[in-house]
Amino acid sequence: MRRFEATKRVMEAITDELVVCNIGHPAQELFVIRDRPENFYMLGSMGLASSIGLGLAMSQDKKVVVLEGDGAVAMNMGTLATIGLVRPANYLLIIIDNERYGSTGFQPSFTASNLRLDAVAEACGVERVTLIDTEARITPAVERALGANEGPQVMVIKTETGMPDGIGVIPMDGLGIRDRFMRAIGA
Amino acid sequence: MTPTEQLYERLRAQKIDFFVSVPCKLLAELIERLEEDPDITYTPVTREEEGLGILAGAYMAGKRPALVMQNSGFGNTINAVCSLLSYFKIPVVFLTSHRGSEGEPVEAQRVMGDAVKPLMAAVAVDCIEVASTAELDRVEEGIARAFETQNPVGFLFPFSFWEGGE
Ligand SMILES: Cc1ncc(C[n+]2csc(CCOP(=O)(O)OP(=O)(O)O)c2C)c(N)n1
Repeated sequence: MRRFEATKRVMEAITDELVVCNIGHPAQELFVIRDRPENFYMLGSMGLASSIGLGLAMSQDKKVVVLEGDGAVAMNMGTLATIGLVRPANYLLIIIDNERYGSTGFQPSFTASNLRLDAVAEACGVERVTLIDTEARITPAVERALGANEGPQVMVIKTETGMPDGIGVIPMDGLGIRDRFMRAIGA
Repeated sequence: MTPTEQLYERLRAQKIDFFVSVPCKLLAELIERLEEDPDITYTPVTREEEGLGILAGAYMAGKRPALVMQNSGFGNTINAVCSLLSYFKIPVVFLTSHRGSEGEPVEAQRVMGDAVKPLMAAVAVDCIEVASTAELDRVEEGIARAFETQNPVGFLFPFSFWEGGE
């Protein structure tokens, strides 16, 4: 299973949740897998998808699912401490851990060697942390997490590196993505 | 009323209802306010850039958000100001204590103190200096303009503001 397959399995469990997605290829893959108004494609601020999701979860009642990368979380690891402090019940952070900086050429990231993000999340006070490495477990695990509404929850999905051919840039600009997303929230 | 109380009254008049902060000595009283006010949403954050992510989420969910920080924190936000706030047109209010301004006792604060205005200009943040409580109308005007134009506004509050009289 690569990030693409993992994302597909996650999206099979998604109904009306807000989804915030990591920069680069992850967002492009999500667009191909299942574009929907409730998706926010964060195109430039590496690491901030988890924080944007946190702000959303603190400000409205819909459930928020964040699709992050291990490299991005390493860049903004402090926000795990804020998540553990604020403890929003409607917040699920899914870290797709391919142990690489995928979008920039699959250079090894810190989780390939010394960094364990599930342990960091626990150390930040997040009680519900799951580690998944088989594709078949993803959809039921996400369904269960979303059913519980006892967040914050963090799920680390271990994947292989690589991605399918033919994934291209998202044909929407920032304002288009934002406006559609804000209408979906209906705030 | 203290300068902080006067400022806070203006912020609430402009319906700012979601705050994050990183501490500064000059902001201690304001941060206490934020911790105690049940009518707003507030959390401390680990880094100012992270704060902008949280505020962007809050804005898209209908809040009017502000980042409370010292000017050195602006240096921690540059990529997010460009790639998040400007690119997605997300207005955020920066409430910035200006270390390195006139009266600064710590020499090390001077360099970033001098850099903050050109940095704000370089990334198209509307920079407004508020030198005393007599100038607080600027805060209300600046906030109103920010949400109208969906462009971030950066207020700088130098030592003279915080040391001003009642
Ligand atoms: C501040 C900043 N530094 C570097 C980059 C370049 N960059 C874009 S995506 C990316 C890799 C992200 O890796 P990860 O979050 O693990 O996601 P993956 O693509 O592996 O799924 C990098 C380094 C950037 N966009 N912004």
